[in-house]
Amino acid sequence: MFGASRVAIAVSIIILILIPQLASNYVIYVVILAMLYAILTASYDLLTGYTGPLSFCHAAFYGLGAYTSAILTLRTGMSFWLAFPITGVWVFLFAAAVGYPALKIRGHYFAVTTFFFGHFVYLFLLNSRKLTNGPLGLRGIRPPDSILGIDFSSLNASYYLVLFFGVLIVVFLHLFVKSRIGRALVSIRENEDLAESIGINTSFYKVLAFSISAGLAGMAGSLFAHFFRLLHPSTFAWMISEMIVIMALVGGLGTLIGPIIGAGLVTFFLELVRPAPELRFILLSIMLILVLLFEPKGLMGIFWRIRGEK
Amino acid sequence: MASDTKMIEKKSKKVLEVRKLTKHFGGLAALNDVDLDVSESEILGIIGPNGAGKSTLFNIIAGFFPPTSGTVMFKGKELTGLRADQVAHQGIGRTFQASTLFKQFTVFDNVFNAFHMHYRQPPWKALLHTRAVRQEEGTMKQKAMEILNFTGLASQKDKLAENLSSGYQKILAISIALATNPKLLLLDEPVTTLSPHMVEAVMGLVTKVRDTGTTVLIIEHNMKAIMDYCDRIAVLAYGSKIAEGLPREIGENKEVVEAYLGVMG
Repeated sequence: MFGASRVAIAVSIIILILIPQLASNYVIYVVILAMLYAILTASYDLLTGYTGPLSFCHAAFYGLGAYTSAILTLRTGMSFWLAFPITGVWVFLFAAAVGYPALKIRGHYFAVTTFFFGHFVYLFLLNSRKLTNGPLGLRGIRPPDSILGIDFSSLNASYYLVLFFGVLIVVFLHLFVKSRIGRALVSIRENEDLAESIGINTSFYKVLAFSISAGLAGMAGSLFAHFFRLLHPSTFAWMISEMIVIMALVGGLGTLIGPIIGAGLVTFFLELVRPAPELRFILLSIMLILVLLFEPKGLMGIFWRIRGEK
Repeated sequence: MASDTKMIEKKSKKVLEVRKLTKHFGGLAALNDVDLDVSESEILGIIGPNGAGKSTLFNIIAGFFPPTSGTVMFKGKELTGLRADQVAHQGIGRTFQASTLFKQFTVFDNVFNAFHMHYRQPPWKALLHTRAVRQEEGTMKQKAMEILNFTGLASQKDKLAENLSSGYQKILAISIALATNPKLLLLDEPVTTLSPHMVEAVMGLVTKVRDTGTTVLIIEHNMKAIMDYCDRIAVLAYGSKIAEGLPREIGENKEVVEAYLGVMG
């Protein structure tokens, strides 16, 4: 079992490394987007898949990260290479401050709270014109400074940059969920009272998962800002949070690999229906309903069923 | 080091001292000025009609909610004000009234997960999965197996908890609590709904746990189990303690009989 999945992961990474050499610019561009979404769904999975609280504001942290990184580099002339980690830490701390009171609310009420928080962040980005240039969008963001002669304004270099950090983040998440801390998170998801009775500080671990999940989304935002170099609040609106939830559910929550596959598949699916943009979210919703009806564990559930496990 | 003083005091040592414990839910007094002493290595049964405040007492001792007034001392240390996870760190394990388990986990993982607070390797090393961390996890796995052997669940270890019979589920709940290495174990209805045969098995296990030096507090409606296995019994009714004594004394206590008959009639 492990042998086979390791081979599959190795093959996927080799394919991802080869894509810029083989594919058109359009495909490279789409894969970059898919990889950014994969960072978002994987980090989302840490909170909702592993720890339990259902969150609808992941795109808000993505947006906070994007705008933080862009404004830091634009206003202070700071290098991306410094702004990137600072953004991660800042969004982590911001999420901790928000999550500490918010996570005292349980279940559906927490989900509703995150929904409104996400919308609040969107409205803030839209209306704080002096800071974010509001609906006109933030322009003139520089690509990461070149390192070792690599010019990051090129598409290929951006691709490898996102791939590099994407793999790093996913490896980190994998080590995290496989550790005893990951087991504590899953215990909280399965039964919060029982988790407390075996000495797990559930509020601490929930805030930790929320903050790490948000910090990583913020870093994805920073990568997005310096790759796309044009930011608009609508990129981080609640629809995008919903999309992240759907991608993660389609792949299979609480499996890490599932949400990553889900991000890839849904991104390409959305590209296929690009000619009919008004259909995209209708089709996404249909996809969500089908998954919830027939296989709540998503693609990973189907995969396990085929292999005769669980 | 401190074991010298422990040895001297051991016989009559109070493990748990509950003083004037009161809990109001809105206008309702769920507990009213309850005093309770529990000595080391005894099995103390707590009985009383439904709504007498038994589970409230457990939830306050275990830190699941604070009392309105009164104190709980555990081995001379004040517990009042601690969170549930902090109480667990003090050495108090508990089970819940319903079969509260990690239902989607295997029996083994239920117990293995419950070792959470015994890890000594720092968290950042845990993330790197260093050799020392993997060794430590190996030790915990061994200890989890020891517990399953002790409680007789070893043969069920790969089953999902939700697929166990209700008797085995109750034993698993005790196994999880044992993994926290408790000095005091709170059991909330460990044999309710079980067949007489399983009642014997679970209560036999509880006696075995006590014999390892763990003090046990049991809430139970099964009077035969309480009478046969408890060293002492305390009776709660309408939030107050109305009697306390040896099983024989309790069986002959008029007030107790009235409290039960009053409810039944």
